[in-house]
Amino acid sequence: MKKFIAMLLVLVMVLSLAACGEKKEEPKNDTPAEPTSGTVLNIYAWNEEFKGFFEKYYTVPEGVTVNWVITPSDNGAYQQKLDEALLAQASAKDEDKVDMFLAEADYILKYVNSDATQDITKMGVTDFSNTYKYTVQAATDPNGVVKGVSFQCCPSALIYRRSIAKDVLGTDDPAEVQELLNSWDKFNAVAADAKAKGYYMTASFAETFRVFSNNATSAWVDKDNKLQFDPMINAWIDQTEEFVKNGYTLTAGIWDDEKNQQMFAEGKTMCFFGPAWYFNFCMGNAQDPDKGCSGDWAICEGPQAHFWGGTWLLAPAGTDNEELVADIMNTFINNEEVCSKLVSDEAQFSNNQAVNAKFASDPNYGSEFLGGQNDVALFAGMTDNIKWENHTIYDQLLNEGLQTALQDWYKGAIDKETALANFYKYVSETYPAIVLP
Amino acid sequence: MNENTKGRMQLLIARIVVYAILIFLSVLCLFSFYMLIVNASRSNAQLQAGFRLLPQDNFLTNLKNAWTDASINIPRGMLNSFIVAAACAVLTTYFSALTAYGIHAYDFKFKKAAFLFIMAVMMIPPQVSAVGFIQLVYKFKLTNNFLPLILPSIAAPVVFFYMKQYLESVLPMEMVEAARVDGSSEFMTFNRIVLPIMKPAIAVQMIFSFVSSWNNYFIPALILDKAEMKTVPIMIAQLRSADYSKFDMGKVYMFILLAILPVMIVYIFLSKSIIKGVTSGSVKG
Amino acid sequence: MESGSGPLKKTKGISYAKWGYFFIAPFFIAYTLFTLVPQLMTFYNSLFMNYRDGLTQVGPTFIGFKNYVTLFSPDSGGQIGMLKYFGNTLALWIMGAVPQILIALLLAVFFTSYRLNIKGQPFFKAVIYMPNLIMASAFSMLFFTLFSNVGPVNQLLVSSGLSDHVIDFFSMKITVRSLIAVMNFLMWFGNTTILLMAGIQGIDQSMFEAASLDGASSLQTFFKVTLPLLMPILIYTVITAMIGGLQMFDVPQVLTNGKGMPDRTSMTMVMYLNNFLTTSKNYGMAGAISVVLFIVSAGLSLFVYNTLSKQYK
Repeated sequence: MKKFIAMLLVLVMVLSLAACGEKKEEPKNDTPAEPTSGTVLNIYAWNEEFKGFFEKYYTVPEGVTVNWVITPSDNGAYQQKLDEALLAQASAKDEDKVDMFLAEADYILKYVNSDATQDITKMGVTDFSNTYKYTVQAATDPNGVVKGVSFQCCPSALIYRRSIAKDVLGTDDPAEVQELLNSWDKFNAVAADAKAKGYYMTASFAETFRVFSNNATSAWVDKDNKLQFDPMINAWIDQTEEFVKNGYTLTAGIWDDEKNQQMFAEGKTMCFFGPAWYFNFCMGNAQDPDKGCSGDWAICEGPQAHFWGGTWLLAPAGTDNEELVADIMNTFINNEEVCSKLVSDEAQFSNNQAVNAKFASDPNYGSEFLGGQNDVALFAGMTDNIKWENHTIYDQLLNEGLQTALQDWYKGAIDKETALANFYKYVSETYPAIVLP
Repeated sequence: MNENTKGRMQLLIARIVVYAILIFLSVLCLFSFYMLIVNASRSNAQLQAGFRLLPQDNFLTNLKNAWTDASINIPRGMLNSFIVAAACAVLTTYFSALTAYGIHAYDFKFKKAAFLFIMAVMMIPPQVSAVGFIQLVYKFKLTNNFLPLILPSIAAPVVFFYMKQYLESVLPMEMVEAARVDGSSEFMTFNRIVLPIMKPAIAVQMIFSFVSSWNNYFIPALILDKAEMKTVPIMIAQLRSADYSKFDMGKVYMFILLAILPVMIVYIFLSKSIIKGVTSGSVKG
Repeated sequence: MESGSGPLKKTKGISYAKWGYFFIAPFFIAYTLFTLVPQLMTFYNSLFMNYRDGLTQVGPTFIGFKNYVTLFSPDSGGQIGMLKYFGNTLALWIMGAVPQILIALLLAVFFTSYRLNIKGQPFFKAVIYMPNLIMASAFSMLFFTLFSNVGPVNQLLVSSGLSDHVIDFFSMKITVRSLIAVMNFLMWFGNTTILLMAGIQGIDQSMFEAASLDGASSLQTFFKVTLPLLMPILIYTVITAMIGGLQMFDVPQVLTNGKGMPDRTSMTMVMYLNNFLTTSKNYGMAGAISVVLFIVSAGLSLFVYNTLSKQYK
């Protein structure tokens, strides 16, 4: 026992010495390089997606080290980490300053509408002729100052199973299916038909949430920061109540395994909603070589235009790498070669209209997963209808919180009033500044 | 003769019942580990396809993917976790024993007050002080440093309490007096006489503290963000939500398996010395 | 409780008292720096309005006890959150800890019994302690996959005909709470067993020999000899189990994805505290909850300590 403790102690000392030794060496390598600015590029992100594209398609100048600070977004951890760093930006040493960070649509306003981010047009990102309008609007503050760019555009489509569509609607042709599902009334009516044939219309109670919420005519809070339910949100609640009651949908959450199982060949669900990144990366079950059904899918615009997700690159105030950051942003929106690669090799719908148009008109381009359908062509036609309106800095967690609270009701554990009371509790915990009705 | 057979029968039945209970509980415990290993042997697609009781053929692929992952340097994470956990285990047991002995063996003015204080603060959930602690760490620029993770383990009320209770039941003060008569200084007496007597308690608490520190996520995640400083749980969490588009659950299970293996090895290693320590440590003065 | 000799103040006129201060100094210095000061900061925070709204810091503004008033005001549904979550925590703790301590006590007696002479002890001990090694989050994730609507348990129930439909374990209070209790039990009963065994083995063997010479049955020996002498360690076990119970966080947090579903009936006090610490950084409300938690825990621990130690004096 004594021997063991002694061994442990020695080991700890040796290891900590080794760790210290390594640490000491680092500044030696760094300091002689260039004390001025820009030797370390700190990029904050919540996952590896952009890091992958960055490392493949962007070459950093010699002498610059890229330091990725990746914090998972679980329970808002990414935003917390980022907030701390941005609030300490002024007093941070140059090599610790945030130089660029990534943000999602649902909380981008929090950063865009603050002094923590800066005008990228002054840094040299000025050409937005090819980017989609809503992606620029999303990164523009109330005074019209552009603070960031998105490297992808995320129009979201109705993704349906061709075989089920044939059975229920009598056709699997995207144009004809769109004709039969281009309004909520038609969509709801078809749900009943699908049910009659033994299918589910959707696999998650929240499947259509984005479609409604993106088309809301008012924001989550009014001028006085009072919480309000937009008619579209109420419409979603009513639709879902009907769907659950009639068995048109499963009561799974949007990311639950129970929903994902429906993507297998044996699944009974006709409709999913999502952008390019969704069906290319999140429908793994459908792509499974043994149990999947790749090719048995197609997309159409669906009842209402909407978008989902997207990753914006933002420039924080106080970065010591302005030129480099501007160059990165320009590369991912305006470099034709890089944007083409994003479409052809990474299955993204890029944020460059010219590049997308090229693929849209290419008769040889098509998605194998969608049975040869040219998804870029469909998405390119949808982008004009996407609205960026009525967003608040609270969107992400209010959307999630509402779904969570209502799920208990849809599953029959509680009534609607209790579910809403739980939602209000959640709001008061998460956003004390919001005034409850 | 008759009495004897009856006694034997009773003993036999008792044994059967006891073994049945033990085996049932063991199966319950092993099942989760078994599932972890099974899941670590399946590809993401296989995992999505549903549950299976038998392993599949992707164990080595997952192992290779996990071990050589470019963004998650698991060997480095294990080293970091080991440094922190081992240092915590040593500090926490030594200083808790020291404190417990100080309060047990000496009659000083604030003895009772000190004891009651520790008792009172013992129940406070660590989350209560987390907010202030993080604020302090930021203020003193101690992020990406192991010290704020290691040093607080000197003051562990729960471990102290265990040591105190243990001392009360095993330490014969006559031995301490005898040492004093021999001219041993107080500090020497503690290191040479008291510590060896407390070996079983120390070994038990070392395991507990090592494991809890190895698995600790809450505070380290807020303090460490440089890749080369991250500990295993941070890496696991990072991998879990690394990227839902490239979400490879097979790799995730493999990481979890890798993450708990060293702890299991340390435990098996230490558990032997505990059992030995427990039996040989109960020397009565 | 005190075993034989008391403290040594009177020995030969030399006062060793000052050594007591030296021995406990490192603990108190470390505690003050790393726990007490942060704690006091947290408590102090509870008297202020202090939170984040996006990137904007609101406060700190002194508001007296307003946070406490908010904490104990009924919400729109007429419930007082704090009381509800305290009840949840208590229920979850009792469901897990009672079997945990009873079974651990039983196992510890089995393992140390010369009469039973259990073979393969190192194996059993290693195995029952194992679940404690898994990260709580990993363990919870595993349980979630096992019991989800598409998990193996449901597959089994349906295919074997035990149930004609999928059972949604996470939509019912009783099943969610049971799962949490079972996990806590599995994670901690091995740990408790080892602690209690160490305690039993620390008991003077001559006591057992004397009992057996007097013709005491195993049950009598257990209640008259083992249990009283085991009291110090048992108190320790109960109190640590209670601390663990009050702090319960990881398992329900990960299992229910932080939601405490259904209807927040598996939300513990620390999960509630955590709700204020993450997005809103509401140090004011979090501080107030911390103070309540502190009062509850100190009260409980004194109560348990007093009753248990008095009973067996």
